[in-house]
Amino acid sequence: MRIRKKYLFYALAFTSAIVAAGVSAIDSTISNLYIPNAWAFGFSCFLVGTFISLLIVIIFSIPVNNKESLGTKIIDPSFKRIRLVRKEEIKFHMIAGLGNAVLTLGYLSLLSIFGDPSTVLPFSQIVILYLIIIESITEKNMPTLSEIQSSIIVTFGAILVSISLTGSISLEAFAIVFLVVNPAWVVFSIYQRKLKLLKIDNRPNDSLNIRLWNVIFACIITTILIVIYDMFMGTGYLIEGISASIEHFNWVALTMGVTFFSYVFYIRALGIGKASVTQAVRASAVLFAIPFALIISYYNVIPPFSTDPVMILIKIIGTILVILGIISFALAMTKAYVFITVNPGYPIDETMNKLWNIRGVTRVTATAGKYDFIIKIRIRTLVKGYEKIIRKLEEIEAINKFKWESVLKEWEDI
Amino acid sequence: MVNAYILISIRPGKSDNIIRNMRKIENIEKISVVAGDYDVVVRVQVKTLEKLLKVTDKLQLIDGVKKTTTQVIEKEIAL
Repeated sequence: MRIRKKYLFYALAFTSAIVAAGVSAIDSTISNLYIPNAWAFGFSCFLVGTFISLLIVIIFSIPVNNKESLGTKIIDPSFKRIRLVRKEEIKFHMIAGLGNAVLTLGYLSLLSIFGDPSTVLPFSQIVILYLIIIESITEKNMPTLSEIQSSIIVTFGAILVSISLTGSISLEAFAIVFLVVNPAWVVFSIYQRKLKLLKIDNRPNDSLNIRLWNVIFACIITTILIVIYDMFMGTGYLIEGISASIEHFNWVALTMGVTFFSYVFYIRALGIGKASVTQAVRASAVLFAIPFALIISYYNVIPPFSTDPVMILIKIIGTILVILGIISFALAMTKAYVFITVNPGYPIDETMNKLWNIRGVTRVTATAGKYDFIIKIRIRTLVKGYEKIIRKLEEIEAINKFKWESVLKEWEDI
Repeated sequence: MVNAYILISIRPGKSDNIIRNMRKIENIEKISVVAGDYDVVVRVQVKTLEKLLKVTDKLQLIDGVKKTTTQVIEKEIAL
């Protein structure tokens, strides 16, 4: 079946968001009823997750015809079969695994504080604030007004959602959100994208093996973190985690099995679209989490929702703010082509690399014809186009002339 | 595979009709309406140079297309 890339991207990202919302409800149930300790639950997640992910990838490796496996056919065309981690992937997997381990432990701690998944999910969206801060530091560039606006809207939205439950603010939860969950999420998503963009055996890296190896690395790192914590604090979370994995295997296997597919769809979407747009679509998980939270609240897993109309209004406003903030951030992108002619006497490869190293350049092509290079650019505002691109282009000696053509509208993969 | 950009200048007042016709042409990967010296940038992926000629031919036959400039891609780095 051939569908437009754009529709495939949105289908993947929305499915991932709905599944993520469902997972948060299952996590909340496990945290409230069976494994209240975040460390033990986190360790159990990765331990059981390794087994479940391995099982799923083995099943998807079953060949259906000479060339294709079950996974190639129904999940990811880049997937061939289960494979060992490659040398060039190890560094990325170690960092992404650390991000996932810390993110999961932080997220489960939040879940044990709040209980309600529709309160915890908006917090993960504050990641946008961090992306802007990182960009400002690395680029030595002031963020634009629209970037500041969007990130403040998202942050305030998430705070509003959190106070809507009890009417009070938990400082411990805020510390976890700002210092643990979101920085870890930034690391995790950046390195997952790096892994997806790697070429393995001359074909794009597949999302099934990326997820499998991410869980394995996260399991190893969580084990190290828990052992260190147990040694210094005198706790027994490692043993607690192992026994929780055996005792509540079915529940943890369910959450990790469903999470596996949520991430596989997310990683595939990341491979198609920009990280920020993927993140924006995935922000709809905040909205989808509400019906799931209502269901588990109906079954008394979490305390019933407040019936105070003011609190309900605050929750609705908060949720809308989070989604709006992220959408306005992600979709405010400017695209352009720059047609370049160069002076003779400069090696093509060197100029090509210099162009590629400019932030915002998403594609560099050396061409035969009137122009020597055509580069494609994606930036947030035209002002940044001048600051980030034009200034840098002028610094490249080999360039003789260039023409900027802003993209007004685009159709893809027709 | 041969990849190429075709830069197109069009006559004013015909853009909607031109884009509609371009979208029907096979092997066109991307159509971008741009502001600058050109009006439309098209990215094409074909198996042979002969097929590229066919795509260019089809583009030039669209009523309202004034001029096309073809840039064949020799090397590429992309995200």
